[in-house]
Amino acid sequence: MRKMFRIFLVSLFFWGNCSLLYAADGEVDFLDDAFYDDISKENAVNDPFEGINRVIFAFNDYAFTWILNPVATGYSYLLPADIRGAVENFFYNMQEPIRAANSLLQARFADAGTLLVRFTINTFGGVGGLGDPAVELGFPRKEATFCQTLNTWGVPDGIFLMVPIMGPTTLRDVSGKLVDSFAVTPLYYTWAAGWEESVSIYMGKEVNHLSLHLGEYETMKEMSVDSYAAVRDGFYQYRRKYWESSGNDNADDTGDVHDEYVAPPSAHSFY
Amino acid sequence: MKNFQHIVLFSFFFFFSSVVSQVSAATPDPTEQLKPVVDKVITLLKDRNFRQRSVVEQSEVIVKLVSERFDFYEMSKRVLGKQWRTLNSEQREQFVGLFTKLLQYVYIGQVDDYIYKKIKFSGQRIRRDRAEVKSLLIDGDKSIPVSYIMILRKDQWMAYDIVVEGVSLIMNYRNQIGTVLRDENFPGLIAMLKKKISKLEAGEKDE
Repeated sequence: MRKMFRIFLVSLFFWGNCSLLYAADGEVDFLDDAFYDDISKENAVNDPFEGINRVIFAFNDYAFTWILNPVATGYSYLLPADIRGAVENFFYNMQEPIRAANSLLQARFADAGTLLVRFTINTFGGVGGLGDPAVELGFPRKEATFCQTLNTWGVPDGIFLMVPIMGPTTLRDVSGKLVDSFAVTPLYYTWAAGWEESVSIYMGKEVNHLSLHLGEYETMKEMSVDSYAAVRDGFYQYRRKYWESSGNDNADDTGDVHDEYVAPPSAHSFY
Repeated sequence: MKNFQHIVLFSFFFFFSSVVSQVSAATPDPTEQLKPVVDKVITLLKDRNFRQRSVVEQSEVIVKLVSERFDFYEMSKRVLGKQWRTLNSEQREQFVGLFTKLLQYVYIGQVDDYIYKKIKFSGQRIRRDRAEVKSLLIDGDKSIPVSYIMILRKDQWMAYDIVVEGVSLIMNYRNQIGTVLRDENFPGLIAMLKKKISKLEAGEKDE
């Protein structure tokens, strides 16, 4: 029982940004008035538990404002941005094999190759993944998560969920996240000597990530008339865009926007 | 004879130049129209003297400048979606006024974060009377894509949406306002907007 609990905690540590990576199916063209005229059925939000979700959102808001944000702000004063970036890279690199496996499951063979090469280069040439020299060698970041795999296989999105601390997600995404994080756990979990350590590693990862995105949440809150609805819609819109730019490479050659690395915000930037 | 040649030449020239001007009048360049306004706003916001004025004064100047290129009426209309048709002209006017104000204060409040970042216009696409002007907000090694969605009115391109990292501002507000209207009626929405605006006017942060 204790062991199971420990595995669960360590797996949290590898909890990816899955939720933001795959999208509702409708393509979007902003020049098309249909986009503004009606919210199409497939893009409509399925949120039957809005009441309870709003309660959790209020809790997350409290936790963010009074605990996580002050800690991350202090942390950002202690460590310079490039070190925090290196820590972010380290966690990112550890999940690379899972991305490769997911690429194979989605029949994206070229991406699977790129991801394995990236993992090799960054682990050995980037000092265990602290740097990302693979990008300069022409192997850009690719996203491939089990959530995308489920989407490829036709699993519907399910309902919208607000998870404590983790933030917005959907039923399918939360399952995909669990698969991704459990898949990576047996490889690494021997690292942490006890559950206390696992929790601190997990919180460390979150605080580090947040320290690179300070101010984003406050901005969003100040701008909105209903911050819950703003987060929910932002979550869906951002996820669609991110999925479009990571899934199909040859769709748009005109914008170099797609080649830029857009930091995938963790749940915090949107909850 | 020479006179005749002149006339032919002149009329050719005239004809040609009128064709050229017609073409350029049909599709003026959206980036060229947008860029000066954005530049002007940024310069103004970097001006220390200007920033020392009250929020209300600042926003009045900014909105005058920005209205040249941003269509707040169109924005408000799209934000309300189907609801727009159910409102009478007085209600519409009231909503447009308040929503415009909200956008201004939000804009001024957030602008400190990005006036020292670099703005690079990175391309555009035009389809009939719609255009998307793409830009990048560059901060160190990070860059955030920001698109302006514009509509052609006569020979003026007017922006009615801003898309930041794939998130449409207008769609986002529309979803928020949708839930407010579902839970409360139109007067409730107006009251909420007024409250939000007076908070922003006073320069208060949300608790």
